[in-house]
Amino acid sequence: MELILIFLSAAIVNNFVLSYFLGICPFIGVSNKISSAFSMGMATTFVMSITAIVSWLIYNEILLPNNLDFLQYVSFILVIASLVQFVEMVIKKVSQPLYRALGIFLPLITTNCAILGLALFIVLKNYSFLDSIFFGLGAGVGFTIAITLMAGIREELDLADVPPSMKGVPITLITAGLLALAFMGFAGMITI
Amino acid sequence: MANKNTLSYEFVKGLWDQNPILKQVLGTCPTLAVTVSALNGIAMALATTFVLTFSSLIISIVRKIIPNQVRIASYIVIIATFVTIVDYVMKAAFPDLSKALGPYIPLIVVNCIILGRAEAFASKNSPIRSVLDALGMGAGFLLALFILGSIRELLGSRTILGYQILPDFYTPWLVMILPAGAFITLGLLFGLVNLYNLSKESKKKSEIIKQYLEQNQQDKINLAEEN
Amino acid sequence: MKNVIQMLIVLTVIGIISGVSLSEIAIWANPKIAVNRAKETEKAIYRVQPKAKSFKKVDKIDLELYQVFDENNLPIGYAFPYEGNGFQGKIRLIVGLNDSLSVISRVEILEQVETPGLGSKITEESFLKQFIDLLTSPQIEWVKGSPPNKPNEIQTITAATISSKSVVAILNDGINKLKKLKEKGEI
Repeated sequence: MELILIFLSAAIVNNFVLSYFLGICPFIGVSNKISSAFSMGMATTFVMSITAIVSWLIYNEILLPNNLDFLQYVSFILVIASLVQFVEMVIKKVSQPLYRALGIFLPLITTNCAILGLALFIVLKNYSFLDSIFFGLGAGVGFTIAITLMAGIREELDLADVPPSMKGVPITLITAGLLALAFMGFAGMITI
Repeated sequence: MANKNTLSYEFVKGLWDQNPILKQVLGTCPTLAVTVSALNGIAMALATTFVLTFSSLIISIVRKIIPNQVRIASYIVIIATFVTIVDYVMKAAFPDLSKALGPYIPLIVVNCIILGRAEAFASKNSPIRSVLDALGMGAGFLLALFILGSIRELLGSRTILGYQILPDFYTPWLVMILPAGAFITLGLLFGLVNLYNLSKESKKKSEIIKQYLEQNQQDKINLAEEN
Repeated sequence: MKNVIQMLIVLTVIGIISGVSLSEIAIWANPKIAVNRAKETEKAIYRVQPKAKSFKKVDKIDLELYQVFDENNLPIGYAFPYEGNGFQGKIRLIVGLNDSLSVISRVEILEQVETPGLGSKITEESFLKQFIDLLTSPQIEWVKGSPPNKPNEIQTITAATISSKSVVAILNDGINKLKKLKEKGEI
């Protein structure tokens, strides 16, 4: 039961994008079409889930027992970079059009603060192995929800009469703010 | 217009022309997260500038030795090392600030500004230029964070840098301290920057059109005189 | 082949330099970080037990607990840091108790991430002073919307009910654990 709560907390109540400001770059960059937003979300969720597992293992099985705590950031980011490289290769082989659609944003998953943030939170909150898996999945799903919602709104915004100075990044950020305001309604539903 | 090749331009361009946040839209995660107060914004900017400057320096020095295929991995290790140093120094010497900035210090590792500058500049330029570039970008980052932090702190807690500016009867806008306020304020800030740029562009355009019309008039007069 | 060797050498050298410099920094920083933490705990202990002149950590138990003494080195009670879940995240507090765990001397909130302006009011004196000389038996209770009328009761903050209730829940949970240890004679 608690695992479901961790999942829901990461996905909705404490959404990585709208509550913790993680993953803003792709959030602004890839959210102009629902299809590419959703694919980006899926790719990120995949990387996040595996990152959760691998970083938990590295931290608790290698770094801690050997007093190598200070190598935390270096090892995490190297793991993430390699994972993204791997996912990129797989997508290239499996679906060329998807690869082209995601373009430059695939390698940019590496610098997605949400992924490193995920690994750091797992260490901070002292989650167990099982906790971490559900946390990673929840965070990814939450990111996907946020970015897809955003894409849906932006597709409508394209047809609206936005003042020229606000087109693009400004109106996206303001919309994100309103989304964040809406998601605040979930606060306190799950206290984890 | 500053000569784009002088050393001083390498520094100055980071302040406005190529301001990492306001022009290049990089590093938005920490910008939104830590600007609940001007002081936190300044601290974050200083920490980021430290990492940016030293990473750029080292990467520029060794840029010719690192083989192409492993350059991203090398840059990442170098950046992560400096971030770890900053994190430990802050925890040891400035524990209150360290707690206030929380997990966003280690997130400097994935701050797109640093890897972006390393890839776009430090890997292709001399150490001196790279350091100036880094310092300029850092200064621009500091400027943007200070402005955003001050606005949010002023409207959300009546103070700037801890000094109360607005009178007591002003009810603080709590939303400014919350994520929603951060998004909206930054969005409006970007909008303002765009407004300024667009008006500059339209001024230039009307200048050109005016000149064209004047020239046209002049040509007509000349033609009439000839006939 | 030469390229591969060069890659490996470069990566290894960078790795070694990084590892060595980081371990040096850690060796320099870790003692200072520990000192910082100890200083913070000490400040908190004296804030909840203002009459205390010295304190000592209680060993051999699972919880973090400090016993405090007066100027004649007689035990006058405990300072107990404890944490639990609040409305938005973790709340970490410290509570001062008398020797028999029946009366609270004071409560201080150490860490919280509650809603600014609402839940964060649990750090304000108007809320915390209710806990001074509060009785803990059978447990601490809360009432909403009207002043407390029992010696073990406090009033929740308007519009911050959940945060206030969380503080009470955390206190009850921690104090109950201490009471069990006292029954077993471990403290």
